[in-house]
Amino acid sequence: MELINPDVVDLSRFQFALTALYHFMFVPLTLGLTFMLAAMETVYVVTGRQIYKDMAQFWGKLFGINFAIGVATGITMEFEFGTNWSMYSRFFGDMFGTPLAIEGLMAFFMESTFVGLMFFGWDRLSRPAHLAITYLVALGSNLSALWILVANASMNMPEGAHFDPDTMRMQFDSVVKVIFNPDAQAKFVHTSVAGYVSAAMFVMGISAFYILRGQHKAFAARSFRMAALFGIISTVAVITLGDVLGRLDYEHQPTKIAAIEGLWHTSKPPFEPWLAFALPDDARQENHLEIGVPFVLTPLVAHSFDTPITGMTELEEQAGPHIASGIQALSALRRYGQGHDPADLAQFRAHEADMGFGFLAMRHAPGQDVTAISAAEMDSVVRQTEPDILPNVFVTFWSFRIMVFLSLWFFAVFALSAYVSLTNRLERNRLLLKLCMWSIPLPILATEFGWITAEAGRQPWTVFNRLPTFLSASSHGVGYMIFSLAGFALLYSTFIAAELFLMFKYARLGPDHGAHGAQGPHLTVAHDRKDAFSIASSLSS
Amino acid sequence: MNIMRLAGLAVALVVSLLFAVFVGDQGPWYFAWVVGTVMIILIAGAGAILLDAQDEQTPEKEI
Repeated sequence: MELINPDVVDLSRFQFALTALYHFMFVPLTLGLTFMLAAMETVYVVTGRQIYKDMAQFWGKLFGINFAIGVATGITMEFEFGTNWSMYSRFFGDMFGTPLAIEGLMAFFMESTFVGLMFFGWDRLSRPAHLAITYLVALGSNLSALWILVANASMNMPEGAHFDPDTMRMQFDSVVKVIFNPDAQAKFVHTSVAGYVSAAMFVMGISAFYILRGQHKAFAARSFRMAALFGIISTVAVITLGDVLGRLDYEHQPTKIAAIEGLWHTSKPPFEPWLAFALPDDARQENHLEIGVPFVLTPLVAHSFDTPITGMTELEEQAGPHIASGIQALSALRRYGQGHDPADLAQFRAHEADMGFGFLAMRHAPGQDVTAISAAEMDSVVRQTEPDILPNVFVTFWSFRIMVFLSLWFFAVFALSAYVSLTNRLERNRLLLKLCMWSIPLPILATEFGWITAEAGRQPWTVFNRLPTFLSASSHGVGYMIFSLAGFALLYSTFIAAELFLMFKYARLGPDHGAHGAQGPHLTVAHDRKDAFSIASSLSS
Repeated sequence: MNIMRLAGLAVALVVSLLFAVFVGDQGPWYFAWVVGTVMIILIAGAGAILLDAQDEQTPEKEI
């Protein structure tokens, strides 16, 4: 097996990261807004009040802009697995392809079919039937995320599969284990609910804009309150699920957790501080300018006060025997491929769990061939490979902290907003309204940094402890990669610009302007004349 | 008709219980997502209805 040009691997990684991060600027709103629309329409169906229908239609229009532009940006990533990650697809395609296929067949079709009915069915369907359609759109968009995250979790915590030495790839064993993989569960809920937070901040921020300008006040007050309550519970859920994911990583991806915490040496409980600030130096394997909160790290990560958390230096040392064992696994596998001797197969099976570490050693083996490592060279190859098990600590450490600090900010903003809204003091708190408005993009930024934490933190693996990233890419030329990367950057930047232009345009125009099925400025209330009067008077004030 | 409706509701109840038992056992976080999402929607909706009630009591108040 020849190694792929490292520049091509880096460009492939950069291209995938770029397209994934672009795509994920659209996804959170889709995940969350659909359920917010469902909440608004539920109130409409229960109370019969026109204003909630107007709310569902107006926010539905902004959802439609996001959906129409954003959904296509994800499809290119599925093709990238074939074009840029063909070695990975060959090795892991059976596992990864199945959830992706289910996503395409079930979630995409469900989502896109019902979106049409949701937009054009207001006058054609009964209220309960339309409400059911809206819920199905919400379910479809979130199920779409579910299958992607099931696929992602199978890379992070491979379960329900085994390696077949005859076909040289991972093969599917159990669909139940794949779907109910603990990492898939926690990651799905964490991501889905992060979408709720993004949608809540989006609705709350635009509503704050209307209140600040004294426009659409009845509409904005209801949207604001629903979003504030939606957001505060969702933020608590995001933080809870973040803790669950951290716990899973502590058990299954200790290198990621150590990098997230900038922990170069095994912790000393219970005093060990949680680093709020530090400048990790990957080359010298130390931190500069540490500022930490004592007694926090151990209970936060290990959920105990006396469990030491293994540091990166010790994890490197612990990897040594696995690397040596992995080299033996690959050597036995090579011999088995040539002669199909059961003894070689038995030796491979004995070291199979460490096969990935053998792949990792290829970069340091003579001629990139682990079977050519002599007994005298073994120790040197193992020592050179050990640091390769660590991710980029600076990136992992800071992307995690940005996400965490932002989520604490959301908690504060949503909690305060919910309180001020429930006590009907929104108009008096203009600073809070401005903060809500300026916070609109922050949840999307937080989810982007969440993905960077998750994906940068699991390096050097595409399939954790099984297949290194540098062996996963396709063998393209550098020129091809730069050309396609530039093309994606240009195309996706155009999409983002179009989305922002349309969002700003329709948000500024407000709910009165040509909302699908909206009744112009008359936000009448169907069953309650007193309410109609109050809404009309608040609109005219 | 009432018996049919009762039977339908009973079937829905049994299916919901089986779903809760299976998913709660195999995938507790999936179950939490289903229950939690419903709860978030209901609380957000209740907040809006509460605002309607507050408006009815004091129509000229600030928002």
